[in-house]
Amino acid sequence: MDIASLLEWLQETSLAVHIRDSLFAFPLIESTHVIGLTLVFGTIAIIDLRLLGLASTNRPFQRLAADTLKWTWVAFAVSALTGGLMFITNATVYYHNAYFRAKIALLALAALNMLVFEVTTRRSVAQWDRDASAPPLARVVAAASLVIWISVIVTGRMIGFTTTRATVAEPAPVEQNLEDLLGFPGESSPPAPAEESK
Amino acid sequence: MKQFALWLSTTSPSVYIQEHNSWTIPAIQSIHIVGIALVMGSVLMIDLRILGWAWVDQTLRQTTDRFGPWLTGALWLLLVTGILMVIGEPVRELVTLSFWLKMALVAIGAAVAIAFQRALRRHEQHWEDTLVHRRSIKSVAVMTFLIWICIIFLGRLIAYDHVWGSWSPSERQ
Repeated sequence: MDIASLLEWLQETSLAVHIRDSLFAFPLIESTHVIGLTLVFGTIAIIDLRLLGLASTNRPFQRLAADTLKWTWVAFAVSALTGGLMFITNATVYYHNAYFRAKIALLALAALNMLVFEVTTRRSVAQWDRDASAPPLARVVAAASLVIWISVIVTGRMIGFTTTRATVAEPAPVEQNLEDLLGFPGESSPPAPAEESK
Repeated sequence: MKQFALWLSTTSPSVYIQEHNSWTIPAIQSIHIVGIALVMGSVLMIDLRILGWAWVDQTLRQTTDRFGPWLTGALWLLLVTGILMVIGEPVRELVTLSFWLKMALVAIGAAVAIAFQRALRRHEQHWEDTLVHRRSIKSVAVMTFLIWICIIFLGRLIAYDHVWGSWSPSERQ
């Protein structure tokens, strides 16, 4: 099965059809995705700022990690699940979207970045657990992590502005209503936010 | 409100954002999401401390001293980027039910955050010894977290206000 037919199959599954046909499903899934990703970034930032020596410096790293990272993984699971559900509603379009691809590449980079930390500095954690900031390599990893995850948020947001949901008839964009009220019906829209203002 | 929104959309800051909306709107929204992420991380940690599920080697005061300033700072960031979004797309924001429900919950969420930090500073010992162990305070912690979850839901639903059907002012025009 090649990728094109896989994408076709995904977006014709009854789950994808159900989400597309529902007025509520996509907005609620997307909102849950935002809740997941804010908790992912919010908790990762706590770890990264500790490694950089900018916050929580009075706590041993291991303790902080034990308090924080399990929530990161729960939140990541929620984000991945809801992200997958959004993807299948319009798989072909997302697959070819440049921001979607950039976001997936950034997620892979984030994983690689984490792996670098796990196989290097994390192994010697006993030596720096109580230091105010981690060794140089871990600080580079932490700074990279913050940049990568902010980029994931930006590219993720851009996907919403550069794709249109396939089948559901959207209500008229607000910009058009505004024009009607101003009495310019028929005029082409003002610089409408990309294809849809999401 | 719609008259105000329409007037606001003709002001020069609004026109600037609209004319450059290919980058201004996504950029402001992304910063807004980073802000809410900092709020969620901070609220989660303070609430987990109150529940006794994390940060138990730290006092409530130490935990709040760590996250309180980030929480307050992030709330300011959210206020500024939120105002910019309203200026940039007044009708899209102001003529929705989701926006106003969200503002009501934001008022509650922010008031709880500020009141809690003040009360803790004023009656530190009482909080550490007694209040933090009370079931009612633990429920407030859970409620506060749920309020922020609802705030995110409503924030995202501004873009989908039609889910409210005839309750949405944008559906009635």
